[in-house]
Amino acid sequence: MRNLVPDFPRAALTAFYWAFLFYLLLPLTLMMALSFKDANFVSFPIGNLTLDWYAKVIQDKQFLEACLYSIGIAAASTLAATIIGTWIAMLIVAEGIRWQVVIFALAVLPAVVPGMISAISLRIFISTIDMPTGTGAIILGHTVHSVPFVVVMALTRLRSMPKNMVDAARDLGADNIVAFLRVTLPYLAPALFGGMMFCVLLSIDDFVRTFFLGGYRATLPMLIFAKVQGGMSPEINAMATLVLVVTTSFGLYAEFITRRARTR
Amino acid sequence: MDPIVTFENVTKSYGTFLAVEDLNLEIERGKFVTLLGPSGCGKSTTLRMLGGFEVPNSGRIMLSGKDVTRVPPNKRNVNIVFQDYALFPHLSVARNIAFGLELKGHDKKQIHRRVSELLELVQLQEFAHRIPAELSGGQRQRVALMRALAPDPDVLLLDEPLSALDAKLRQQMQMELKSIQKTTGKTFLFVTHDQEEALTMSDQIVVMNKGKIEQMGDPTALYSQPSSTFVANFIGETNLLRSKVQSVNGDLTAVDWQGITVKAGPGALLPQPGDSINVVLRPESIKCSLSEPSTTNKAKGRIRQRVFKGNHTSLMIEVANGAVLNALVHPSDIAQIGDQDIWVGWNTDSTTLIPDKHAAE
Repeated sequence: MRNLVPDFPRAALTAFYWAFLFYLLLPLTLMMALSFKDANFVSFPIGNLTLDWYAKVIQDKQFLEACLYSIGIAAASTLAATIIGTWIAMLIVAEGIRWQVVIFALAVLPAVVPGMISAISLRIFISTIDMPTGTGAIILGHTVHSVPFVVVMALTRLRSMPKNMVDAARDLGADNIVAFLRVTLPYLAPALFGGMMFCVLLSIDDFVRTFFLGGYRATLPMLIFAKVQGGMSPEINAMATLVLVVTTSFGLYAEFITRRARTR
Repeated sequence: MDPIVTFENVTKSYGTFLAVEDLNLEIERGKFVTLLGPSGCGKSTTLRMLGGFEVPNSGRIMLSGKDVTRVPPNKRNVNIVFQDYALFPHLSVARNIAFGLELKGHDKKQIHRRVSELLELVQLQEFAHRIPAELSGGQRQRVALMRALAPDPDVLLLDEPLSALDAKLRQQMQMELKSIQKTTGKTFLFVTHDQEEALTMSDQIVVMNKGKIEQMGDPTALYSQPSSTFVANFIGETNLLRSKVQSVNGDLTAVDWQGITVKAGPGALLPQPGDSINVVLRPESIKCSLSEPSTTNKAKGRIRQRVFKGNHTSLMIEVANGAVLNALVHPSDIAQIGDQDIWVGWNTDSTTLIPDKHAAE
């Protein structure tokens, strides 16, 4: 007999999903919409539309400098985190079960320590060793934060790698380093690529650590924060919209690439 | 002739587990040699020691006259075909095969020539640029084989490479492996737990059990002249007639098989009257008939179970002394036989004697 009663749990699940999506997208949509407003203040109705704010933003030297600075920091911390994270993941799979757990737990600790705490402790640390605040300190902070994500992604991939593959490379004449470079690394590549994209996004987005460790140059989030302090304006909306569009497409592209590589 | 591989008193243990115990083995150049045994018998450990992935606790391994006991895998001239193939998923078929050659520093032209030559040998020319994920199981198997053959190893090691294939493909690959071994003239050391596989392909079979060599010889000898109950049971199907020796007359031994006197053919051992002994009787050697047969040995019995298998029928026969024999007969041979008393018979030359291990202990 067919079920004549409507499928309530399923309907509820679907409804909640759409409600969540609405809640998620509404603020973003509003922000984007207001970036086209032809007036100096942020409020409805939008009235006339204009691209002037965007023109202003992309000609804004401060904004462009902050972008470049953020990208530079992201690149440096991602590179460092990828090398350290891969190294730790390789160490974990090479160790016995008991040490694996310990090393793994320590390696992912930075991901679960609250940003505030990690930022303050890093700040205290760098003043203890007389390291100046600024670029180096920010990169250090971002790297520490990013390593766990690389470790987790690299480890997942390494665990799925047939153990015989490295043996096969050794058997065919490769020493340990050649086997790593020619077999393990290419096998890890999709996971590492995904991990790197994630690190870049984490770094670009980071405010708390950068705030505590930074010097006089502003990263993107710091610049936006400073601008908001001076009062809302559609210019900030335009800036935020640009950042949102670029990082989202970046993230989606990364997901697409890793997914394609993983199914092969 | 000089053996290409020699194991001298090789022992390997993991903690308290003795994987291989005092192994002495010589492998002849150009032969297809199979290490056969149940899992945990030490066959894979033996292969991995020759491959360089395990180092023996004691003893010596010689390869082409050189001591390689402690030489790492990348520095010895043997290659392995792994059980799961272990192809490099990011490289094309051609690049997989070229891997070993590139590391040996051959020039590009040479590599290209060798790779096409090998691809041709297994008819995979048009798959050269595919990646392993785009190949079938049998094709991957062939690529793994060619990748291991490419650097021209002294010995090719094969670690149960056919176990992942389905029955039909496995049979086909057995033939192909054998013919590739013949055309290339390479020494193959094959590891398997499948006795049929071993019988089909090998020039020489080494049966291993509990870290030791139980018996070695060519397939026919192993099948017809097993030297222990383990080998008799492991290779092919067997009836073991537990008996007592009555008298010995040259090659002929008369034994008492639970009340029935049986004459048995020669075995490796010299029995004495009164000894406990096993007579190995293969199921296909047993003939069934309604009238008394002219074979050397005969007994009355009844068919208790028959299973039709197409080209043969498998029978369970209860013999007059209460023992049960397994027999394989041609279906038409027993078409006339029902539930009545029948005769079973077999000739002396289809039996062999082996010591009764339980009595010896």
